Amino acid sequence: MFQPYFDSTRRNDSAWSLFPVARPSVTFAATTAIVIGLSVALAHPQAGWANDPPAPPTAESGEPEVETSEPAAIEPGETVASAPDEAGLRFFETKIRPLLIDRCVGCHGEDDAESDLRLDHLSDMLAGGVSGPAVVPGKLDESLLIAAIGFQDELLQMPPDGKLPDAEIELLKEWIARGAPHPEADGSGVPAPRKSAINLEEAKKFWSFRPLSSSPVPAVQDAAWVINPIDAFVLSKLESEGLTPSRPADKRTLLRRVTYDLTGLPPTPEAIEAFLADESPDAYARVIDHLLESKEYGEHWGRHWLDIARYADSNGLDENVAHGNAWRYRDYVIRSLNQDKPLDRFLVEQMAGDLLANEELAKLHAADAEAADTAEPTERAIPTEIADLRIATGFLTLGPKVLAEADKDKMRMDIIDEQIDTIGRAFLGLTLGCARCHDHKFDPVSTADYYALAGILGSTRTMESLKTVAKWYENPIPTEADIAARRDHQAQIAQRNEKIASLIAAAKADLAAKAAAEAAEAAEAAEKAAENTNADEPAADEPAAEAVAAAKPDEAAKPEDPEALFSAETKAELQRLRDEVKALEKSPPPIPTAMGVTEEQEIADVRIHVRGSHLTLGATVPRNVPAVLAPAEPIVMPSGTSGRLEMANWMVSPENPLTPRVMANRVWRWHFGRGLVSTTDNFGILGDQPTHPELLDWLASQWTELGWSLKSMHRLILLSNTYQLGSEVVEANLAIDPDNRFRWRSDVRRLQAESIRDGMLAASGLIDGTMGGSMLHVGNYEFIFNHTSKDDTSYDTYRRSIYLPVIRNNLYDGFSLFDYSTADVVNGDRQTSTVAPQALFLLNSGLVMDAANALADRLLRDEPQDDARRVVRLYQLTLARYPETEEADAMLAFVEAFRRVAAERAAAQVAANPQPLGEGDATQSPPAEDAANPAAGTDPLRDAWVAACQGLLVCNEFHYVP
Amino acid sequence: MIPSRRRLLQASAVGFGHVALSALLHSDAAAATDVRRPIPDGHHFAPRAKRVIFLFMKGGPSHIDTFDYKPLLQASDGKDSPIEKPRVQFAATGKLLASPWKFDQYGENGIPVSTLFPNVAKCVDDICFLHSCHGTNAAHGGALLKLHTGSDNFVRPSMGAWVHYGLGTENDNLPGFVTICPTLAHGGVKNWGSAFLPAEHQGVPLGVASQPSTDARVKFISNDRWSSPQQRMQLEWINQMNRRHLTDHAVEPSLEARIASFELAFRMQSDMPEAQDFSQETEATMNLYGIDEEVTSDFGRQCLLARRFAERGVRFVQVTHSDTNVQWDQHSDLKKGHDKNALEVDKPIAGLLTDLKQRGLLEDTLVLWGGEFGRTPVAQGTNGRDHNPEGFTMWMAGAGVKGGFRYGATDDFGYYAVENKMHIHDVHATLLHLLGLDHERLTYRHAGRDFRLTDVAGKVHTDILA
Repeated sequence: MFQPYFDSTRRNDSAWSLFPVARPSVTFAATTAIVIGLSVALAHPQAGWANDPPAPPTAESGEPEVETSEPAAIEPGETVASAPDEAGLRFFETKIRPLLIDRCVGCHGEDDAESDLRLDHLSDMLAGGVSGPAVVPGKLDESLLIAAIGFQDELLQMPPDGKLPDAEIELLKEWIARGAPHPEADGSGVPAPRKSAINLEEAKKFWSFRPLSSSPVPAVQDAAWVINPIDAFVLSKLESEGLTPSRPADKRTLLRRVTYDLTGLPPTPEAIEAFLADESPDAYARVIDHLLESKEYGEHWGRHWLDIARYADSNGLDENVAHGNAWRYRDYVIRSLNQDKPLDRFLVEQMAGDLLANEELAKLHAADAEAADTAEPTERAIPTEIADLRIATGFLTLGPKVLAEADKDKMRMDIIDEQIDTIGRAFLGLTLGCARCHDHKFDPVSTADYYALAGILGSTRTMESLKTVAKWYENPIPTEADIAARRDHQAQIAQRNEKIASLIAAAKADLAAKAAAEAAEAAEAAEKAAENTNADEPAADEPAAEAVAAAKPDEAAKPEDPEALFSAETKAELQRLRDEVKALEKSPPPIPTAMGVTEEQEIADVRIHVRGSHLTLGATVPRNVPAVLAPAEPIVMPSGTSGRLEMANWMVSPENPLTPRVMANRVWRWHFGRGLVSTTDNFGILGDQPTHPELLDWLASQWTELGWSLKSMHRLILLSNTYQLGSEVVEANLAIDPDNRFRWRSDVRRLQAESIRDGMLAASGLIDGTMGGSMLHVGNYEFIFNHTSKDDTSYDTYRRSIYLPVIRNNLYDGFSLFDYSTADVVNGDRQTSTVAPQALFLLNSGLVMDAANALADRLLRDEPQDDARRVVRLYQLTLARYPETEEADAMLAFVEAFRRVAAERAAAQVAANPQPLGEGDATQSPPAEDAANPAAGTDPLRDAWVAACQGLLVCNEFHYVP
Repeated sequence: MIPSRRRLLQASAVGFGHVALSALLHSDAAAATDVRRPIPDGHHFAPRAKRVIFLFMKGGPSHIDTFDYKPLLQASDGKDSPIEKPRVQFAATGKLLASPWKFDQYGENGIPVSTLFPNVAKCVDDICFLHSCHGTNAAHGGALLKLHTGSDNFVRPSMGAWVHYGLGTENDNLPGFVTICPTLAHGGVKNWGSAFLPAEHQGVPLGVASQPSTDARVKFISNDRWSSPQQRMQLEWINQMNRRHLTDHAVEPSLEARIASFELAFRMQSDMPEAQDFSQETEATMNLYGIDEEVTSDFGRQCLLARRFAERGVRFVQVTHSDTNVQWDQHSDLKKGHDKNALEVDKPIAGLLTDLKQRGLLEDTLVLWGGEFGRTPVAQGTNGRDHNPEGFTMWMAGAGVKGGFRYGATDDFGYYAVENKMHIHDVHATLLHLLGLDHERLTYRHAGRDFRLTDVAGKVHTDILA
């Protein structure tokens, strides 16, 4: 069942007013499919389908004979075609019209018009219904009528109650093959435009498709509150809503907030003291600079981007094989952010870095050739900047794929679909994937738009092999060392081959010499014999001939193996060398590769897949960007490359307002916990409207002016008064804006999953700051999980969370429980859930116990004597503040009480089990430095501190940042 | 506004999803509407079943060797198949292969069951066989995902998650959706995941397929360092700190919810082991499930666990039969493999049905049995069968379905579903219907559109309803 296009029961009723039903003033590009159908009709008014003898009614005859490249616009009122011939009309009237009336028009006629399709008029047939043109004269394989009655696709089978008799199917095929002669094709037929078409002019008025506005920075009453224009936009809104901003956050709170925000880690006690002591006006700005320069910045903000890139170290989905080289992309992201690579460049690299790399490499090759004075291209190292360009395109490859799909055409289209969906959400905030099967039901994106993009990605090579289990493509990125190793390896082989050759030559020479000597001897003997016998006897020549032959071993030994005659020593040596060569050839030094794309051999446009099915193909659509976003100057898609670079350049061009808006909103979301547009990945009709549209556009424009520098953007936002607000509630505001949509205070937010883990590891001192590299336990393309369900995934490391393998279908528990991205789809807005399994993890997991143990040991080591000072230290390390007296007292009371219970438990265990648990009186012994984790009960005092440390690591204040 | 939210919270207890917690806690009113339970009064219409036990046979058990008797196939061994093979096949196949098992008729309606399932055969009067099931994917991964989530190429919530989202749970101290010893391959957690549904609806796994069911535990359910009194003491102190912190942030309901979530976790630590503790079960019950025999012990335990969870109000329980070899996936050695598999599950399944019935639980518990697809009537190699998503048998028993009933049919050889065809989407639609949920109205707004378990398809097959 097809649902109506704009279901008025949906949330956004305005869909109606935005894209009014466009009968009869449809314009081109809304429905390329129809228009192409019509353009064919127009292009061949007489030829082919009226006068030529009918083609045999087979599926093959429907092959397009003429290019349907440029869709031409049809103006209303224009006529379709001139009159068909008599015989054709007679055929229609006697065979086809009755058939249509009998079988089809009941549902597809004036009364019902199911799926917006009518078959009682030629114009309606040519225009088609929601799926596209029903009849394309002369083209069987583009006529959906034929697809439907052929039952070739499960989703499109007509009539619904059963297949027509073969004879009737053949008649309809014949009719279309003959050019669909029809009395209405005499010029009276006005093409009826398809209903529910997208009106592009209207669509472009939607807020997110409009050009960036350049609203002036608004004036506000309390001008003193404004530090930078962000504040003016925010305050202006607050004032107009009757809201009062909360007081600024205190320094400690601000430092904890900004440190977690930029690095994902808590501030160290030393950093807190330094910041509190620094009373200079730019103390905060310098802290920001310092944090932005730290390597931890890229590790935290890179992780944000990985959510958008649906980054994972395994495929997940049906066959969970390892993305053995995905880590290179992860490290590239961290590197790019730490370098403050301009965001526009960053995006283009991920879409088309391979093409940029090719340009750079061509230059290098030319230089190489010049230097070497040869045109021969040589294997060369890829400099790291160029390697990064290839690595960047891993973005397109990282998606989950059905790798055991038996239907290879479907697999190809599914992979393209995943890419389109990701690109749409990540860069444009559009759910383009919806247009795979039908025009987007809400946004002005048609199926033709979708397949225009599919052409670009279809001309891009993502896969190495589609054979089950399919493999994705990887680009080589050899370094100088790899090339040197290759050369060395080649040299080693060559050296052995030379040795083999010289051994053979020498051995042969030996043989030849020996044979020559023998021959000479024989000849001598023969001569002697000849002297003694009759010279005319023919037999006497034989030994001499043999001897002569033996003297030419090359010829004589040819039929046999000459090496058989070599000495045993030589044979052994040859064998050894050849074995070595074989072994070397089998194990060339690996050339590192990176997940990523390259160009397909064939660059081609794609045909519309009716209802998303590759079994029912419609018209061909030229590669392009979605019509609603198309720039004034049309993008020219190259014939020799996929067009990815053109598309990427368009995305970050001033002509496209969506990408800067989407990106600026993402940055805002990651700083504040909620976007100015709360639906960060959907800027379409069903997305939310911005709370501060002028501010969003100002940020987007400002960013492009700042050369797309993300670090500059951070500074701008972080230095605003808006960011520095405290979380205190202004009672009067609660009635007006309880949800703080207009940002009158700072939200109290839970740490994200990585910061919970990293924060615990940092506070306890366990954290290992090593950067980069792979931590996967299996090789590239190997199974993470096969049918045995054996789980070998190991997270046994104290490296930062961004380096833990992201195993789809089996994420680390500490991630999946705390609302980590599922790593399957773009996720720019992680949720925050509160469920009991999180508490189980905090109460009982190895990670938390490890951190609590280490933290307790750290305290007992740092403050060996003084309980009270331990409490202070613990608060500083975990909560970045001093305890209040009451809090300190409560903790000391808890420690003492817990120690007592632990001691009782130990005593009970000793009583139950006469074997001593520890040496001496456990209750009084100092913490054992060398025993990292003694068994429970052996040291009640340490137990008590471990319990206290665990308490602080799991308490609300540790997990929430105000 | 805020106080009322909090009151609601207090009244509902912080469950694994009795009330979609994050909805109550989320400060954004729009988002709250999105994630709140979709049906305020519980059901779209009167439910026939309150809960589901899904007995999943991983690998694809052969329908034509178990419950879908095909006399013509039996008579055509070694002959060419007169039926065209599907456009997409998983592997190359040859000539027709008759079933090596004998079929007998059972129950009031003389329903044929092969000798593979002698015990289940005795329960046929409670079983509704769905002989016309069909799917769309011929590979394990795609087919598993299709069966569990309705989609073989997109990431979608699993059916248990949808059910839990629709109905919540009846026991706040236990998860509402439990999956026992699930397989990590072929979709892994996606087969019990919540995808874009709020996290509380995802299934909670007990162990994995590679572990014996005696080791099946919820992760992090216990602490080997602290005794229960120690942990209680620690929790009191944590609560004290949290309540103090709360006074500074009075308008943050999530902080209060978090305090409650720790209390629930603590209760779960005692309730979960209790639910898994068989010490109060009689010897007769244990034997009924075959726990006393080595070959049936592992799966028997899973089935008994399923009954105990059902008894305690868990909404959706999945039990997976899967060994560390090739499960029901007999591309070769059909006889040997299916003999072994069936032996392991036959008695436990019959035991579960019998036990549910004698306790009155079968009246409101729906049992669903099946694999991700069936197997071909044509041979792969000499003695195996390939995957067949074109037609296969699943069965339902218990609440709301006709017992002793055969619905739909495959062709004469069991290759394609031909009569009353029941797509996986239809199985889902019918299952939801039995639970009182309308599959077209059980929706969730995500990424700009309303999603359903049945996508844009699915038909309730009312002929099977009792």
